Amino acid sequence: MSRFFTTGSDSESESSASGDETAPKAAGGPYSKPLLLSEDEEDTKRVVRSARDKRYEELTNLIRSIRNAMKIRDVSRCLEEFELLGRAWAKAKGVVDREGVPRFYLRILADLEDYLNELWEDKEGKKKMNKNNAKALSSLRQKLRKYNRDYEGQIAAYRQNPEQSDEDEEKSRRDSEGSGSSSGAEDDAGNFLKRRERDEPRSRYKESESEPESESDEDWGDSASESDSESDEDDGKFTSLASKFLKKDEERRGAERRREEKAKKKLERKSRREEEEEEEEGGEWEKVKGGVPLIKEKPKMFAKGTEITVGLVMKKLNEILQARGKKGTDRAAQIELLQHLVAVAHEHQLGVPLELKIKFNIVASLYDYNPNLAAYMKAELWQRCLGCIEELLELLFAHPEIFVGENVLEESENLSNPEQPFRVRGCVLTLVERMDEEFTKIMQNTDPHSQEYVEHLKDEARVCGIIGRLQRYLQAKGSPEELCRVYLLRVLHTYYKFDYAAARRRQVRPRPQEKEDEEKEKQEEEEEEEDSEALMERLCRFVYAKDRTDRIRTCAILCHIYHHALHSRWYRARDLMLMSHLQDNIQHADPPVQILYNRTMVQLGICAFRQGLIKDAHNALLDIQSSGRAKELLGQGLLLRSLQERNAEQEKVEKRRQVPFHMHVNLELLECVYLVAAMLLEIPYMAAHEFDARRRMISKQFHHQLRVGERQPLLGPPESMREHVVAASKAMKTGDWRRCHRFVVNEKMNGKVWDLFPEADQVRAMLVRKIQEESLRTYLFTYSSVYDSISMETLAAMFELDLPTVHGIISKMIINEELMASLDQPTATVMMHRTEPTATQNLALQLAEKLGNLVENNERVLDQRQGAYGGYFRDQKDGGYRKGDGYLRRGGFRQERGNY
Amino acid sequence: MASRKEGSGAAGGGFGSAKGKGKAAAAGDSAVKQVQIDGLVVLKIIKHYQEEGQGNEVVQGVLLGLVVDDRLEITNCFPFPQHTEDDADFDEVQYQMEMMRSLRHVNIDHLHVGWYQSTYYGSFVTRALLDSQFSYQHAIEESVVLIYDPIKTAQGSLSLKAYRLTPKLMEVCKEKDFSPEALKKANIAYENMFEEVPIVIKNSYLINVMLWELEKKSAVADRHELLSLASSNHLGKSLQLLMDRVDEMSQDIVKYNTYLRNVSKQQQQKHQQRRQQENIQRQSRGEPPLPEEDINKLFKPPQPPPRMESLLIAGQINTYCQNIKEFNAQNLGKLFMAQALQDYNN
Repeated sequence: MSRFFTTGSDSESESSASGDETAPKAAGGPYSKPLLLSEDEEDTKRVVRSARDKRYEELTNLIRSIRNAMKIRDVSRCLEEFELLGRAWAKAKGVVDREGVPRFYLRILADLEDYLNELWEDKEGKKKMNKNNAKALSSLRQKLRKYNRDYEGQIAAYRQNPEQSDEDEEKSRRDSEGSGSSSGAEDDAGNFLKRRERDEPRSRYKESESEPESESDEDWGDSASESDSESDEDDGKFTSLASKFLKKDEERRGAERRREEKAKKKLERKSRREEEEEEEEGGEWEKVKGGVPLIKEKPKMFAKGTEITVGLVMKKLNEILQARGKKGTDRAAQIELLQHLVAVAHEHQLGVPLELKIKFNIVASLYDYNPNLAAYMKAELWQRCLGCIEELLELLFAHPEIFVGENVLEESENLSNPEQPFRVRGCVLTLVERMDEEFTKIMQNTDPHSQEYVEHLKDEARVCGIIGRLQRYLQAKGSPEELCRVYLLRVLHTYYKFDYAAARRRQVRPRPQEKEDEEKEKQEEEEEEEDSEALMERLCRFVYAKDRTDRIRTCAILCHIYHHALHSRWYRARDLMLMSHLQDNIQHADPPVQILYNRTMVQLGICAFRQGLIKDAHNALLDIQSSGRAKELLGQGLLLRSLQERNAEQEKVEKRRQVPFHMHVNLELLECVYLVAAMLLEIPYMAAHEFDARRRMISKQFHHQLRVGERQPLLGPPESMREHVVAASKAMKTGDWRRCHRFVVNEKMNGKVWDLFPEADQVRAMLVRKIQEESLRTYLFTYSSVYDSISMETLAAMFELDLPTVHGIISKMIINEELMASLDQPTATVMMHRTEPTATQNLALQLAEKLGNLVENNERVLDQRQGAYGGYFRDQKDGGYRKGDGYLRRGGFRQERGNY
Repeated sequence: MASRKEGSGAAGGGFGSAKGKGKAAAAGDSAVKQVQIDGLVVLKIIKHYQEEGQGNEVVQGVLLGLVVDDRLEITNCFPFPQHTEDDADFDEVQYQMEMMRSLRHVNIDHLHVGWYQSTYYGSFVTRALLDSQFSYQHAIEESVVLIYDPIKTAQGSLSLKAYRLTPKLMEVCKEKDFSPEALKKANIAYENMFEEVPIVIKNSYLINVMLWELEKKSAVADRHELLSLASSNHLGKSLQLLMDRVDEMSQDIVKYNTYLRNVSKQQQQKHQQRRQQENIQRQSRGEPPLPEEDINKLFKPPQPPPRMESLLIAGQINTYCQNIKEFNAQNLGKLFMAQALQDYNN
């Protein structure tokens, strides 16, 4: 123990007192290396200064000046100082609460009390005092008494054995006698030297005792026992002691400070890192590069020469993590630090679990990088995140023995003990789910028509890959709940993709007479890549069976239906939809699920349309289309609305719900399908009920389009999809199926709509057929009054349908009493019965109906009149009226008339 | 063409009245018992419609003439200019005054004796007509409104009718109270809102002579529209209009019904309260019940709907019905005639 060391430490501590900027270099204090403990090291590291130090120093300074004042009998100064002391004490309260009242403080209190009593007793001296002093004396005495009451017990204890601190007293006297400006640090240093000597054996003893304990335990246990044992030492010593055993906490603070500095000195990071590496290589001393006086500020991961252990890394990790979420923490730097930590851990072979643990945290801090929920990850970060998760998964696969779980408590983690099973806290599933969210966010925020979007979309495969691997991992280890979640993720990434491979296979399959080899190849292929249908089926079934949260099941069902619908398995999709009873309670679901529901319904409708089930298609699409907000309902864009209806906050929320572009349902296709379906239903209906006053529209939107078409002052050839449909409808109204067909299926419409279907030709064939049939029906409705009889052969020729079909359609119309006619079998003609009323007759019928209403209303007025002026039995009658319905009322009225 | 026929008829029979003569029974106490119209006026009205009116648009104009005893002679007329939106500040009164002054300069009767209006399938019984006729009649007691039906005229028989408000309706309109009670008190129904004044078309002898001359020269084939058998269009339109009115009537009745129900509800409430009070009083004191008028003040009775609308609608429906009846009677006659003709030919 040389003087050199102490002075060295002295200067450092001074500099630290002068400014907060100091970066104490002592991380991983001496006690973390119990076996190597030596005094040299101790002292060189004696630099740590903290708020505690400062407080204690402040206190000692004040105490010294009080003592000085006491010596010159300056009571007023004493009072001033005492008040300051009180304030400083209050400031130091936090520290004191943790460590108990320091001895030096008790001593000054006791001494002051004695001194004051002495003065008080000394009547002579009191008289000699000037007025100020006398006044101060009394007030100080009162104050002190009041103050000491709180510490009565401790002071009494102190008074009993003040000898303990004789030595220090002397020293402090010496100090106070010396220059008043002598710094507390010097005092510290002095104490230090002394204390060291006594300290050593004890710490030795402790070391041997605590060796079997885990290291962190030892740290804390050590310091705790220290504080216990040393609490009865004197004040001067105490200051240093305090600062000593504060070191543990100090380290953490230091680390924090270091990080902050790091943020400030990003530019220097590189060089610093080099230095750090050197340190880790075991260099005992820091190297000062290029003479830059960075030593003090330079942060480092671990103290030089420290042996990197699991506990150490863990501690470091905790330090880093504690800064998480705090203001002013540089998140990028944090990520760097963590990655560095991984490298360290890897280098020192600290075990996979630790690496896992740190990697978990890296991913988490990557997610944390954006404080704003709406903002999305930058591409670079995203790539890193993906990479990290992949690594994580690889590690997990490589070490299946490691138990990873959310529910592993911080305490019960086992990172290093190879005898027990490794346990690591953390949840891959959550990370992957979060990753998925981030992916969605990135897709939402990228311009869908840019190359960038395509680039991002390429990551989809990677995302799917990760999910797939996670699924495999969890299938082996996860709980059913977790499995449900990962399955849902998988399902969500599968359901909207059309399985072209499967479709191709299905097309090929009907021809089994192909070569055997090919068959084999195909089989291999199938084994290789599971049919998405089978996959969906398997995943969804598991979710149906095992899921306990309703939401996952709902989503899975919807996705399943969507997938079925997308692949034209109409009946299965429909049955699933009906069985799920989702229509009844979907309005209670949260908006994203509702959007999914809407998407599913739309897909279902389009599927029905492809299958030629026009009515079903129309019904499925009606809800979405009739609102005119299809875009919004499908989460494919925001409607332009006034700001009053939606504030910025809502808009943000809505934006977050948007479906990424690659999952969109083509809106034009949707509308076209709807309008064509509506046309096929509505036009014959309109023709059939031309004179019906109570005719209801089947599709409002379709009528709207028709009206828009009628309003055009000049009708050019149709341009847009809607115009095409309107033109087709007009053609169909007159039964001109050829023109109708030309308008619905032509090059423009093919490009816009029909080619979007996977099996476009089938759909077109279906459409032609439907148009022919419905045109025939419309023709019959419209022109049946003109005919006495029509030959079915002529009709078949007109509409290019075969005779049985025509026969079927007409028979159906006759059965449904839509067409008043009969079939004449031998001549194959339709005989019209002409029971339809003429236009005038229709009008007369309508008029009669209206008159009926009028009369009824009028009678009601008469009833009222009777009620209002009906003499003495008015009351009872009114009561009766209110209960009875219209018919009874009239009946009552007649009876009463009879009474008159 | 048609007017010429009428005119010739009038010339032949002296005071041959136009159709609808029998319906002028209610005109007994009115200031005007007969309207005598110059052929010139009729032609001018027809011309006005043909030039400016189309579809269901209505043309209007001012009648000029003089009153002789209980006979109103209409000797001239001029049209109101058609309004367009851009000359909203056009002063009609000013225009009329100017017009009349100018006519006076050329020695034409300048006395304002009423106005004329064209109609679309007889739909003229409206609030607007009622209001303007009321103001006319209020200012000039003898004024009439001539209703010209171009569609019927086109079918072969001139349709020109003169209407006046009945004194009863004048009273009601003066009061401006169209509540059910007021109308009931005035004893007004749709039948006696308007009175039709018989019309006589009179031409000077010189004109009559010329007409006779022309008659000899013209061919009979010109009058074929009288014999047209096509009826469904006209009938359909009439039915449509009639239906609309019936709908309106229905709505009106429903409105009235609601009102009545509200009234009765309130009355019942009142009644119950009163009954309770009365019962308590009677039981305690055995006194006769208190007068009931003051409670009316406590409750604000619901606003009765004005009944004039429904009266007008009823009048309109009546007109339509008459029209349809008349039209159908004629048509049936024609159909039978055609059948007989065909039978005879076969």
